[in-house]
Amino acid sequence: MKAKVSGFGIFYLSLFFVVLYLPVLSVVLYSFNASSSTAQWTGWTLDWYRQLFSDRVIAQAFRVSIQVAVLTALLSAVLGTFTAVISLWVTNRTKKAIQGMMILPLIVPEVALGVSLLFFFNALRLPFGILTLVLSHSLFCVPYVYIMVRLRLQEIDVSIIESALDLGASRRQMVRTIILPLVAPSIVTAALLCLAMSLDDVIISTYMSGPRSTTLPVHIFSMMRVGVTPKVNALCSLILMGTFLIIGFSQLITKKRRFS
Amino acid sequence: MKTWKRNLLAVPILVWIGLLVGIPMVLVVALSFLSRDHLGNIVYQFTLDNYRRVLDPIYLRVFLNSLLLALLTGLITLLVGYPVAYITSNLPPRRRALALGLIMLPFWISSLLRTYGWMILLGNAGLINNVLLALKIIDKPLPMMYKFSTSLVGTAYMLMPFMIVAVFNSVDKLDRSLLEASYDLGASKWKTFFHITVPLTLPGIAGGFTLVFIPALGLYFVSDLLGGGNTVFLGNLIHTMATRGRNRPLAAAFSMGMIALVLMVLSLYMKASKDKTGEGLFQ
Amino acid sequence: MNRRSAVLLVAVVLVLAAAGAAGAKEGEITLMTWGGDFIPREIIQEFEQETGIRVHYKEAPSNEDMQSLLEANPDQYDLLVVTDYMVDILRQNGVLEVLDKTKMPNYANINPVYLGNYYDPTSEYSIPYAISISLLLVNHEEVEKLGAKPITTYSDLWQPELRGKVVVVDWSVEIMGVALKSLGYEYNETDPAKVAEARDRLFALKPNIVRFETNTPEDSLINGEAVAGFMYSNQAVKGNAADPKLQPVFPTEGMPIFIDSWVMSKEAPNKDGAYKFLDFIMRPEIAARIADITKFTTPNKAAEPFLPDYYRDNPMLNLADEVVENTSFYIGVDKVLVEYEHIYVEFKLR
Repeated sequence: MKAKVSGFGIFYLSLFFVVLYLPVLSVVLYSFNASSSTAQWTGWTLDWYRQLFSDRVIAQAFRVSIQVAVLTALLSAVLGTFTAVISLWVTNRTKKAIQGMMILPLIVPEVALGVSLLFFFNALRLPFGILTLVLSHSLFCVPYVYIMVRLRLQEIDVSIIESALDLGASRRQMVRTIILPLVAPSIVTAALLCLAMSLDDVIISTYMSGPRSTTLPVHIFSMMRVGVTPKVNALCSLILMGTFLIIGFSQLITKKRRFS
Repeated sequence: MKTWKRNLLAVPILVWIGLLVGIPMVLVVALSFLSRDHLGNIVYQFTLDNYRRVLDPIYLRVFLNSLLLALLTGLITLLVGYPVAYITSNLPPRRRALALGLIMLPFWISSLLRTYGWMILLGNAGLINNVLLALKIIDKPLPMMYKFSTSLVGTAYMLMPFMIVAVFNSVDKLDRSLLEASYDLGASKWKTFFHITVPLTLPGIAGGFTLVFIPALGLYFVSDLLGGGNTVFLGNLIHTMATRGRNRPLAAAFSMGMIALVLMVLSLYMKASKDKTGEGLFQ
Repeated sequence: MNRRSAVLLVAVVLVLAAAGAAGAKEGEITLMTWGGDFIPREIIQEFEQETGIRVHYKEAPSNEDMQSLLEANPDQYDLLVVTDYMVDILRQNGVLEVLDKTKMPNYANINPVYLGNYYDPTSEYSIPYAISISLLLVNHEEVEKLGAKPITTYSDLWQPELRGKVVVVDWSVEIMGVALKSLGYEYNETDPAKVAEARDRLFALKPNIVRFETNTPEDSLINGEAVAGFMYSNQAVKGNAADPKLQPVFPTEGMPIFIDSWVMSKEAPNKDGAYKFLDFIMRPEIAARIADITKFTTPNKAAEPFLPDYYRDNPMLNLADEVVENTSFYIGVDKVLVEYEHIYVEFKLR
């Protein structure tokens, strides 16, 4: 059973959300700023939204980024979970090897990874674009899924596994009926993190997007020389509002289901 | 299933990461011992010069600076994020999903823009100062930008979700009957929290700390923009050396220094957490 | 989800992703440079409509990223715009094509004062595209209020009245350059005695600097946290447009100049298309519109009659001859960089 959340808890959580959203709301606010500089407020405008809708480059970059982020989150969730689950019954030496491999993507310098993968995928003649972006992003996302899933598996009783196996359950049955339900929240939360990391990667994406495609972060960072315009703020505001709507809808739907 | 057959399942993942990440890592190690010519091209000539430079007292101060930033970031995200994760895991299921969604949402927006968002808030002519001036709480703007603490706030903000998600996954699977038992034995809420909940969630804390500490060492534009470039961190230094400095061997040597720092801190941390829980995250 | 469906999902993901990639086609060219409107999209669209050649625009955040990308896949890029020093590197690395001027009649429009520089002495490999200098942007009114004397030189930045009121771009070579110039020396000095002198001079500037910022230093003057700034001319133009009180000062000691230039890959897949594009953007009226949109100084002499009035009247955009004569490039950065970077870090940590 769950402990009840106290009034203080609700207060703390609300305060946290206020601080969490303040910088984001200032981004939204300045998407309506007539000046292209964040240093001054010169009045309200919808110009940046108008410009946004006629900009095919930013629209395409956004589409690529979303596709890559979703595919990366899916791929990393599968690979990360698989790795965490099999580490339950490999020998200790192999487990150590897995753990070492999982820390590697966290410490390797990003430029080195980007440039090496460029040569590697070149040699394999892989077409640069969504494929190479998803493959490279999942490299630095898999460890996050692995770590989050391991956190839930850590105290799973090995004797449960053994006795389930003794009772004639197949490994597959056990994974499906015991392990996956247990780690499902980890997979979901880690996949959300992967989505965020993929949507924010600049350096590796610069090398992996190839001559024909751009992701949103690469587009934004390569704009810095001539100036990032509030058009980007406008896009982010729309993303925010869209996601809010989706979350609101899903809340409504689950509510209906519960009461009908 | 035989032992070798079980281990076989791990082979694809080991080969995949070993090949795609292991090789670049080996190249960085090799690069840190090489030289470069006047065009910035790499010359295959062994040298220890890069490491000699890294060990310069001035650069050691940069290492210390970054270590301080990363440790404090870990601490802040833990102090702020732990309660958030704890409270969230105690919410009813639908509310819990909503809270998790709301926690993750801001991080789908470009971190560069969110950094600008902080500048809009904290600047001398920023929103917070304007509100305080209008309310006559202060009579001249509070200087909040371009300090070490500004970089710290920004870095902690960027990395907060990693801590929250790690602690959440650890708190959420807690065996609540243990807590009940503790209450039944007359322990207070706080005593139960510090004697049962915290030790049982140490793996989550260790995991969150890892995922916050490492990126905190490497982030560069957050501290550049919020710190006003007034302090130098490892991430900035490596980024400059690798790009405009056109000295990738030196950048590689600095990266090796950073990796050494990570492994040092992590092994200390893992040892400590292993003593308490019997099983550390990477042990 | 069992293992088989997991494997299936991964396979589906990869197939879907592979389907998104396209092969090279005839009648298209690929450019690579900074993003945003560095090469205005409307100009590119006009070119596409006129010639039927499709233009791909690869955006990269820095010169060094462009170098790595080009050198890894020289057969996938036709044209790049890079800064002068990178032209030099790419040229010496042998990845650039010698440009055939006979295919570009409009090349005659380029102002010869911007040709034959150190990075391409015979102007065989590159065509100047966007010119910028570094200069001071000053709020004279506020400087006077602080009790400082008017700023006309770099040396004036050292006035104690300006404590915490100066913003500068964040790059060791340029900041050392300011210190060297204020002492009457040249950029990228290697003489240890002069470097040591510049180092001490630089350290004395630290209390005056509020912020190091490369991309939007003009913001600090607009919001009033700084009264003087050392920045690139396109940024100073923006600052001046946002607040006319912010006026350019061309330091008498001299200024650095940067020439972003077009270069062609030696293995460019569509050289004819690339020449057509270069010729198109060197048309006087097109070059004038590019200059208007990007706010960089155009090297196109024939574009002058087509430039808007504000542009011609702006001394930061329409650079006077005596200003250009007082500029110099950062040459030999590789010889001084490690030393300068060390001084710079020491300077910042003070």
